[in-house]
Amino acid sequence: MVPLHYYLVVSAILFFVGLLGVLTRRHAIIVLIGVEIMLNAANLNFIAFWRFGPNPDLLLGQLFTLFSIAIAGAEAAVGLALVIAVYRFYKTPDLEKMTSLHE
Amino acid sequence: MIIAFSILSVIAVISALLAVRLRNLVHATLTLMAFFVALAGLFILLMAEFLAAVQILVYVGAVGILILFAIMLTQQVTGNVKEHIEAHGALWGLAGATAVLLTLLLPAILKTALPLQPVVETIDPSVRALGLNLMSPYAIALQVIALLLTAALLGAVVIAISPEKSEEEKKS
Repeated sequence: MVPLHYYLVVSAILFFVGLLGVLTRRHAIIVLIGVEIMLNAANLNFIAFWRFGPNPDLLLGQLFTLFSIAIAGAEAAVGLALVIAVYRFYKTPDLEKMTSLHE
Repeated sequence: MIIAFSILSVIAVISALLAVRLRNLVHATLTLMAFFVALAGLFILLMAEFLAAVQILVYVGAVGILILFAIMLTQQVTGNVKEHIEAHGALWGLAGATAVLLTLLLPAILKTALPLQPVVETIDPSVRALGLNLMSPYAIALQVIALLLTAALLGAVVIAISPEKSEEEKKS
């Protein structure tokens, strides 16, 4: 069996990659993709801890991940709708050009 | 087991990196779908077969297509080649993300004593138990999630609908 450490390290690296996408890209859709990657890294953590925990028969980790996936689906729908609405207003998906609050 | 784990995690990390680094948005979305599939494989390795199926259905089937539609409804796909894809201060972002990885996540994992072997060696297929759990102890949570999804769906439609068009429809 693969030790729990390995899963957690993979999950940490995936979280890092998602954070990288959110912090370094300027396209709104890529930022949302980064958020999705971070959510999935967290789900991997839930499942890994569930598998290695003392009571896998209770299925707590799986149930939590199921709800987390549902929340992530809602988040993706609303986030992409916001991207489309903002695009219609600014005519660009570039987050750097959305500066009306700043000016 | 370790071989499958290595292959899947390498695919997951590389496709996630490509998804946030590629210039072409459609390519980025396709690599994101590859990332979701690799993660579903890791779920199967952890004996969460129902969640692997849900992962493929929800993420590859719904979220991936949703992102493709959002790309279709906004702007050119490939982007201007000369245009910068990085935000201002992207190096600070890289430094911040690396700092989070190296000072928070990895030390926390490596310093903690974690089990090398699962306590329970084999797990029965969990679909039936999951369904029973969702119907009795977690029924209210399931209803709340259903309500949230409905509200999110309606909210997404309301946000995305074009204001001019809806006024035209009111007049007609």
